[in-house]
Amino acid sequence: MRKKLDTRFPAARIKKIMQADEDVGKIALAVPLLVSKALELFLQDLCDRTYEITLRRGAKTMSSLHLKQCVQTFNVFDFLREIVSKVPDLGGADVGSEDRSSC
Amino acid sequence: MEPMDIVGKSKEDASLPKATMTKIIKEMLPPDVRVARDAQDLLIECCVEFINLISSESNEVCSREEKRTIAPEHVLKALEVLGFGEYIEEVYAAYEQHKLETMDTIRGGKWTNGAEMTEEEALAEQQRMFAEGACQNERWGYCPQTIRTRPDFRELTLGLLVCWNLKLETLGKHP
Repeated sequence: MRKKLDTRFPAARIKKIMQADEDVGKIALAVPLLVSKALELFLQDLCDRTYEITLRRGAKTMSSLHLKQCVQTFNVFDFLREIVSKVPDLGGADVGSEDRSSC
Repeated sequence: MEPMDIVGKSKEDASLPKATMTKIIKEMLPPDVRVARDAQDLLIECCVEFINLISSESNEVCSREEKRTIAPEHVLKALEVLGFGEYIEEVYAAYEQHKLETMDTIRGGKWTNGAEMTEEEALAEQQRMFAEGACQNERWGYCPQTIRTRPDFRELTLGLLVCWNLKLETLGKHP
């Protein structure tokens, strides 16, 4: 189901994000391009797997809860746990609800 | 040092443009699927986090190899280490494609920068400058290193001594 994208990720922005990390120094010219492609594949995977959960729940709209459950299901998405932790589970108090908008 | 604590100050304002991301997410999903607004924002955050993850790991790979610039190979290695090994093939294909596309550009322009002189020309120029200025200039060296490497250095030195002598004579300080 991997279609060719019409829209691309902005390479300059990717480089900017990479260099926001203080430890990161120089980056070869081609690197943002590779990261861009990897990101495309990653996002596609994330969307696909989250959508499966959306379908399974019989919903028409993909919600952040579906995304959270996706992250919790697959080990490869472990690095996203903190990001989704602010999403409240159904019927329970949300864990670690810091205000992240001031980052 | 906390490992990968990217939540704090290093995250700045750098994020991915929302409009572009919305379009891309739409393209990735079946046409009639809707995505809640907060889910979209969350997906964008996940993307940024992914970039941070790859950057961080690539940087580690790079350091381990004692290099200073993160290279494509480091990124590929990082993908493998992080469990995204199945992406490597396509990512590498994209890289190869990019190389092909930029090869002509590089070959065309960069190496024909005609501003350099040949070594002979440079030495001749030096000699001219030297002959002109040696007797008037109290300091010897326009470029001591270059003088030392010149083939006719001995001859030149003798010439300089003569000049110097003449100068001293003129100043009335003949030893």
